Amino acid sequence: MDPNQPVGENYANPRTCFFHVLFKAAALAFYILSALFIDNFVIIFVVTVLLAALDFWVVKNVSGRILVGLRWWNEINDLGESVWKFECLDHESLARMNKKDSWLFWWTLYLTAILWIVLAIFSLIRLQADYLLVVGVCLTLSIANIVGFTKCKKDAKKQIQQFASQTIASRFSSTLQSAFSVV
Amino acid sequence: MSHSDTIPLHPSSQSDIDEIENLINASVHQSVPSARPPSPPRASIPVSVSAAPSPFISSNLPPPPPLPKSSVSAVPPPPPPPRADISSSGFGSAPNTLTEPVWDTVKRDLSRIVSNLKLVVFPNPFREDPGKALRDWDLWGPFFFIVFLGLTLSWSASVKKSEVFAVAFALLAAGAVILTLNVLLLGGHIIFFQSLSLLGYCLFPLDVGALICMLKDNVIVKVVVVCVTLAWSSWAAYPFMSSAVNPRRKALALYPVFLMRGKTPQLHTNRKGQRYPSNIFS
Repeated sequence: MDPNQPVGENYANPRTCFFHVLFKAAALAFYILSALFIDNFVIIFVVTVLLAALDFWVVKNVSGRILVGLRWWNEINDLGESVWKFECLDHESLARMNKKDSWLFWWTLYLTAILWIVLAIFSLIRLQADYLLVVGVCLTLSIANIVGFTKCKKDAKKQIQQFASQTIASRFSSTLQSAFSVV
Repeated sequence: MSHSDTIPLHPSSQSDIDEIENLINASVHQSVPSARPPSPPRASIPVSVSAAPSPFISSNLPPPPPLPKSSVSAVPPPPPPPRADISSSGFGSAPNTLTEPVWDTVKRDLSRIVSNLKLVVFPNPFREDPGKALRDWDLWGPFFFIVFLGLTLSWSASVKKSEVFAVAFALLAAGAVILTLNVLLLGGHIIFFQSLSLLGYCLFPLDVGALICMLKDNVIVKVVVVCVTLAWSSWAAYPFMSSAVNPRRKALALYPVFLMRGKTPQLHTNRKGQRYPSNIFS
């Protein structure tokens, strides 16, 4: 039986994982390689920033909810106040999420931000203000996603804890009700 | 005998009433996180309706057993997200957006951008209550307009295209932030991202003007186009910015708006690159 068992758990959503990584890698690779080969700043800026924005959208709306079951957005309520909204699957579905998908999701988020910070330091060292503008935009998008999903994850954990405590309370009430009905 | 029988029933019924009230409150609290409309069937993310929390069932306490690997491998992969559009965003609430198809997300975001653009292009139906304009804000439209305006200006420039683009982008992006902070510091009631979104959408007339200036070489046509688009852009932004500030400080909040709007069209008509930096920074 042992040789027949799979070596490791495979990715549950390989296509989503692919696109989750694709746009990040494309933006970073294009920025680094074009700085070596292309001299036109406008082309470098537009392509890199568009790829970073596309990556932001895909992570926020597609891979975030498919790989880790989380989604976040900001809206304005009727009182004219800004409200952050977080959405997550129920705890049973969250428990069924693939661990490898979740690992890939979080690690690529942090790794991308770290790489953009390194590139920003390089631009600072060379005193290239225009390239710092590119890195600044990409870094802002990357950090926005990290902050959004981190808050969303904390909110999900809070909801799970509330659900657990309410389940215990309702169970206690049911026990009391049963005892009184017996009497 | 009958009197002694009725005495112990009273506290018991009172306790039962209290327990029923507690159960009602508990069920109300529990139903809040799971009160969602039924989602469309989707194999990749199973959301079982039977998993809805029930105050009378305690079977949810133990952690659910892990899904068999054969079932995991049998689940078909979700549709790929390459249909995602660059001009879309996920800002906006919708019932149970976690399990919707990707195409629904794209359509919702595109329709929001179109509706936000109409508020700027056509007469604003919320001019009496500007706070309602762009309540469903997004930053994709402003982002696209800034990039487009920068591209148009850099194409129009004869030399130093990179500098023109970088300065235009930085000026427009930082300008919107500075205008919003100016209103906030004057004690205005405004929401940061909503203001950024509105100021960004107001760049659309300037985009049209820049495009026309690039295609036409007549100086008179350029001057007319710049004046029209400048007035249009300022007119679109005026009610929102003015209502957010105390009437006594209205002029103080609006002056930078016109200053920034007046500065931007200057980039259109400047075709001699040698004088460009001095014009911007002087």
